[in-house]
Parts: sequence; structure tokens; C-alpha cells
Amino acid sequence: MNSETGAAPASGTPLSVRGVSRRFGAVQALDDVDFTLEEGEIHALVGENGAGKSTLAKIVAGSILSDSGSMSLFGEPYQPSSRREGAAAGVAHVRQQLSLVRGLTVAQNLQLGRPDAPAIFNAGAARAEVERWSDEFGLGVPAETLIDDMPLAIRQQAEILIAVAWGARLLILDEPSSALGPLETQALIALCHRLRSEGTPIIYISHRLPELTELADRLTVLRAGKVVVAGADVRDADLREVATLMIGDVTLLEVDRPEIQRGSIRLAVSDLSVSSPHGVGCHGLDFEVAAGEILGVVGIAGNGQDSLAKALTGQVKLTGGRITVDGTDISGSAGQAIAAGVAHIHEDRSNGLAASFSVADNATARHIGNRRFTSFGVRLGDKIALHARELIERFQVRPPEPAAKASSLSGGNQQKLMAARELEQNPAVLVAHGPTKGLDPEAAKAMRDRCFAAAQAGGAVVVISADLDEVADLAHRIIVLYRGVVTDAFSSEDMTPERLGAAMAGLTETSGATGD
Amino acid sequence: MTDVVAGGERGEIEHAPAGTEERSLTTSLSTSSLAVLIAVVVGGLIMLFSGENPLTAYGAMLDGAFGSRFALGETLSRAAPLAIVGYGTAVALRAGLITIGAQGQVVAGAIGALLTAQFFETAPSAVAIPAAAIGGALFGMAWVLIPAMLRAYFSVNEILSTLLFTEFAALLIEYLLNNPLKPPTAITPQSDPYPDNGILGLVIDGTRFHTGVFAAVIIGLAFIWWVRSDRGFSYDLYGENPNLAQSLGISSNRVIINSLLISGATAGLVGWIQAAGLLQRVYVGIASDIGFFGLVVAFLGGATAGGVLVAALLFGALQAGGLAMQSSEGIPASLSDIIQALLLLGFSIRYAPQIIRLTRGVMANFTLVGRKRR
Repeated sequence: MNSETGAAPASGTPLSVRGVSRRFGAVQALDDVDFTLEEGEIHALVGENGAGKSTLAKIVAGSILSDSGSMSLFGEPYQPSSRREGAAAGVAHVRQQLSLVRGLTVAQNLQLGRPDAPAIFNAGAARAEVERWSDEFGLGVPAETLIDDMPLAIRQQAEILIAVAWGARLLILDEPSSALGPLETQALIALCHRLRSEGTPIIYISHRLPELTELADRLTVLRAGKVVVAGADVRDADLREVATLMIGDVTLLEVDRPEIQRGSIRLAVSDLSVSSPHGVGCHGLDFEVAAGEILGVVGIAGNGQDSLAKALTGQVKLTGGRITVDGTDISGSAGQAIAAGVAHIHEDRSNGLAASFSVADNATARHIGNRRFTSFGVRLGDKIALHARELIERFQVRPPEPAAKASSLSGGNQQKLMAARELEQNPAVLVAHGPTKGLDPEAAKAMRDRCFAAAQAGGAVVVISADLDEVADLAHRIIVLYRGVVTDAFSSEDMTPERLGAAMAGLTETSGATGD
Repeated sequence: MTDVVAGGERGEIEHAPAGTEERSLTTSLSTSSLAVLIAVVVGGLIMLFSGENPLTAYGAMLDGAFGSRFALGETLSRAAPLAIVGYGTAVALRAGLITIGAQGQVVAGAIGALLTAQFFETAPSAVAIPAAAIGGALFGMAWVLIPAMLRAYFSVNEILSTLLFTEFAALLIEYLLNNPLKPPTAITPQSDPYPDNGILGLVIDGTRFHTGVFAAVIIGLAFIWWVRSDRGFSYDLYGENPNLAQSLGISSNRVIINSLLISGATAGLVGWIQAAGLLQRVYVGIASDIGFFGLVVAFLGGATAGGVLVAALLFGALQAGGLAMQSSEGIPASLSDIIQALLLLGFSIRYAPQIIRLTRGVMANFTLVGRKRR
């Protein structure tokens, strides 16, 4: 095994998968799948959540075994029985949840568990190696910084860098762009092209179709474990057709925004300032949201979105200004925010749910303190389960099993569960932070409809997102955050890529917002 | 359904993210039983190597724990304080707080109970007994109040602060029993005899089964109520996901302070039971190792009502049986200590991922003096 990229003789097709099947219990995750990765290509693997993309990736990487079928790697039979074997053969799988050790530096992560690591850790050599690779690919990956202290995009670059340094001959990137903003995605695409030109073929898993035209050479579409498009040329592909094949129903991608009657102001934010120990915080934000209105808050991740979401839901003490809902001050009190009817879709589902608690407990968690569900302080399990069942039904959480653990649900259903908890009653204010992030088209449509429904029912909705498409689909009006300051504000009809790009990069300043 | 993850092998290109295993503290009693079995077998081997017959030894232990009315009373009177401390610790544990200061709170509770009982020396028992119980609980709470406030307001790690307060308690009782509380006639450090009107009488004569043991039943019932209550649910939710709990309006400071105060109160009660029931006087070693074994009981019992009860009985029996074995067969009681240690070891290996996860969260976010800047 060689630690230099592509130095091994690359004879034959990089990867050929023939007739691979895999079943999990009752679910046929992969059904007789053929897949070929050619030399020097970026091959997009697309499909809904649960279509089998990740399963295929894991089989190729060696972390799970296929039930049947065969594979070959660079012309040689390939049957990895563990990730270690896959890695030794040169297959690197960079997953959605990055797997660097957060309390260590990039250089330390490089050496940790490395297949050919020397017995004694040589800090200088590791640092030099990180710097060499970082220079070679034109990245800014710092060798001596703790993973914890780096932004997500850089962590991802570090993980790809480590994979290449370990001698990866073939890269699998699983949903790498799902948490990135537009600029960061551009940088990722540039890195992928760079790797391709250096001779490393890439399997790129995504369900964001638009970025693939720019990125990939060919694409394969999976639906319910079957290949429905095999290696089509991306330039010739009709994305609408691809979307149809992917989900079977293209109307899911179309957003038809309902006409919503504006009412009076429900959410008023004046001169809001929050300081954050590990972020930029917010400085002097002023805005109002009326009943039936959806306000989009965009910006590159890490420009004060978290502080704003926490402030609007009463979870942080303000350093200045105030927030009122229907005239009631909710500043700094989550309890008052809830009493005033503020609902919160958390950005991170793992943060917004109690994972090891039951679906019923999660669905009804906003009822803590509600006498209806207790007797002498004791929770009435039957009443709670009954109520949870209604919510599950209404919000279409699958499987409809109140006693199941929340962690056992798929991502889309966890999102529905969180919506069930937060949107049971029509909220006065809905703070939706990345509501469709990482969801397949069907689940995403369901979440969009929930946001529209909240507005239609007279709620003021704030959608905070790094995904511009998501905001464009939902919002009537948009404000742009840069370093915790509003740099531009416009209605969604006036949104142009140029204007947005300038505001997100902090190149404009509106009269109302002062710089820091 | 896409995330069916193969187990976390270490050191691949994917460095195996932690937390793929979703077993909670409250499950897997069967693995705990396995730990017990291993401890018994390994303990037997050690006995064999030290020239004792394991069957005789275990027979003597069983006999000493359950074989007679006296043995049963001994087991129960040892299990009761462990269970009470265990239940209190479990409340904090379920809220995500690792308090290891029960030992010091037991000592504080014993002092509090004694002082209260001396104050009510002439009152009827119906007043003096509950007053001393309350006094003990209040002292136990007082002993955890400062660590609780430090944790709530300054994010000072409660593991370290509660341990420090245990040291303070040990020093304080040594001072008190050598100076102000020491009767003029006494040679060794100890208090006056516990006032007669506050003594918890024996339930069965000729045993050490005193009425204080029933406090464990009351605390156990209270714990069952707590686990099923709305308030308890909100505390458990905080332990599971503090961010979510706070966003639902559950006050972080209230959860931290109250759950630690509850654990302090139960440990303080144990101090009262030991002083008023078992020993009827306060000694420096009044807490023996109840505080520490109570923590073990809480962990080993998975912080559940039944689990804590079983674990407390197990340790009570081991301790009672070990002493009986020594007196009847001449086999050193320290062999029983070895088995208890093996149990602790077995269980800590079993729960290592959870313990590491619990403590890593704490360690990563806090330093001794406050929240780490990130």
C-alpha cells in the first residue's frame, strides 16, 4: 500500500459494482445494483433519503457487507470485510457526520489510526505533511488547530485532505454540501475538480440536484434500492427528468407559495444585541414580522444566525434591545416565549429532540406543566400516548408508534416529530432554522407546507437558513446577516444573486444597520 | 433507515464517530448480572489461591447475609442507607449531574441530626425524631448548596467541588469530635450518646434492624413518584438534552440546584439514620463508606427504582456476609471487599462508554474554575 495519491498502478476501471444487493430486516435497501466509476471522473450518486445511496457507499467502503454481488477495484477483485480493509485498498469514505476527533489537531488526526502509521508520533513530520497537502490543493487547512476550533467547511477539507494523505485512490463524499453555504460549496466543488485532475475519481452523493451540473461528469440515480439512471452524462441530463425519476413525483420540487393575507405586526425586534462566547453574536438588529408574513434570514453559516434563533426563542439573555410577541416582552425567557406562542424548529435535529426518549414523550414535551396530562404531579401515560397518537397522525410521523425511540426514526420523520411538538397549536411566531436541511423532497415539501400553514393561520414566520433556495422558496422578505449585522434587506422579488452575494460577503451596508 | 451503521471499528478512514450505540443507563440489567457472575467467579478463584475453600466462604457469606433473623436484619440495616443515598444520587444522575459528595453530606447530616436532637432533648419523641430527620436533611442540603450554586452560576465542575466538600466534612467532624462535641470523659474522638428521645428503636430485638430502615421504603416510594412525575420528567429531559430542555422553558439553574439539593437531603437523612438508629452516637467514621457505595448503587442500578433496590441489597448482603464469614469461618472479610471491588470494576467496564460520555461532556466544557473559552 502506497501513501502517495495515484502512485499505485491504476490499471482497469477504478470501481465496478455488479449485482450488489443488501437487505435490512424487511427493507431491501439495495436490489441488484450495478455501478461503474470510470477513471478521472466525478460520478454523482443521487436519490431520496432511504434510496440506498449511503448503503452502497458503505458497502464500497467495507463498513457493511453486501448479501450478494461482486466488486472490483482498479481491475482487481475487491471484497472488503471491514473499513480497515477498504481503506488499505485505497477507498476513503467521508461521511455526512465528519469523523475527526474534535479535541485533537489536524496533524494528530492525520496520524491517528493511519494504516501505515509509525509507532512513534512525529509531530513535526505530521505538521509538514498537512501543510504540504494543504498547499498542493490550495487549501487553508491549519495543521495545529483543534478540530473543535475550525469552521465546518474547513473540517470537511481537513477530512478530505487526511483521506488523500492516507493514500486514497478513490473518494466517496456523502452529502458533503448539506451544511455548507454557497461560497463554501463553491470551494468544495473546486477541491473536487482539483482532486479529479490529480487522478482521484470521486463518488459524490447528494440530493441537491442543481450543484451537480457544475460539479459532476456523470450521474446515477437510485430509487428504492434500484438503479433508475445508470451513469448518464450530466451535461445531457434534464434535471427535471432526473428529479422525476428520483422521487417519482416532480411536483414535490415545485413550490407553489400560497397567497397569504398580511395582518398586524406580531413579532417586533428592536435594537437586538446578543453576545456569544464562541460566535459573532448579533448587533443592533431591527425588524418586524407581520401575521402571515415569512421573513427569510440568510447569510453564510456562523454570521450570527444561532444567536438570533436563540434570542427569538428566549434562550439567551440579550445584551441590548428587546423582542416582543404581540406586545409581550419575551426577551431572555424561554418560558415566556413559549407562553406567548413562539415555536422553534431547531437547526440540528439532535439538539431539538430527546433522542433516547419515546416518540410520545417528544411529541408532548411542550406540555410539561400542563395539568391536563398529570394527576397529583404524575404523568398519565395513557392520556399522553393518546394525545401523541393524534399528533403523530396529524403530522404523519412514520412509523406511527408512540412508544418507539425518537432516535429510531429517519431524519425526515424526526423533523416531522419536532414539527408535531412545536406546531401543535398555531404558533404566534415560528422560528424555523434550516427547516428542510438534509431532507428528501417529500419530507422537505411537508416542512415547507408546515411553514406556509403557520403563516396562513396568522403566525409570523422567521426562516433562518444557509440554503438560499430554501429561503427563496419560502420567504416574502429577506434580510442578510453578516457578522451579526444586517447588511441588506429586500423583498424576495428584488432578490438577485449579485445583490445577495455582495450582502453576504459584507460588501454593502444599508442605512439602518451600522457596522461593527 | 439509511443509517444502519456497522460497529465503530477504531482508526479507519472514517474515525468511527462516537455515540452510535444508543443504550441508556436504564437498560441492560442482564449485563449487570453478568458483572455479578464474573465478580463471584473471579472472587472464588482469589479465595482458592489464598487457600480458602470458595464454597465454604460463599456459604458462610450467604448464611451471614440471609441465614438467620440476625443476618437478615444486618443486611437490611446496611442496605437501607445505601438505597437512600442511591435514590438521591439517581435523581441527580438522571438530570446529567455527577455528584460524588454523598459521603460528606452523610457526615454533615449526622452532625445536623445530633445537634437538632440535642436541642430537642426534652421534647417528646414525636417532635424530636422528625425534627432530627429534618435537621439531618437540611445539613446534607447545606453541604451541597455551595457546589450546586457554583455549578449553576459559574459552571464549576460538580464532581470536583462535591469531592472537595467531602474533604471539608471529614476535617470538620474530626475537629468537632475532638473539641466542642467531645464529652470531657471521652478519650477517643466521639460525641455524647445520642439523646434517648430521638433514638430509632429496634424492630426486632437481637438484631440491628431499626425503624430507620423504613425510611428507605419511603424514599424508594418517593423516587418512584419522582420518576413518573411531570417535574421528574422535565429533569430527566434536561439530563438527556439540556439545550432542548432550556428551549422548552426548563430553567437550567433550577434543575441543577434542586437535583443536587435532593441528593444532599437524602444523604443527610442517612446521616440521621446512622446516628439515631445504628450507632446512637456520632463517631468520626460514622459515614463508613456509605456515601461512596451509594454512588455505586445508583450507577449499578441504572438510576432506576428497582435497579437501585437490587444493587443496595446486593452490597448490603456482601458487607453483612463478609463480616459474618470472618467471625464464623475465620476467612478475612477483606475477601468480600475484593468481590465488591470486582463488581465495581466489572460494572465500570460495562458502563465505560456511558461514563466516558457523561464525564467527557462535563470535562470538555468545564475547568475547575469555570467554563472553558472556546
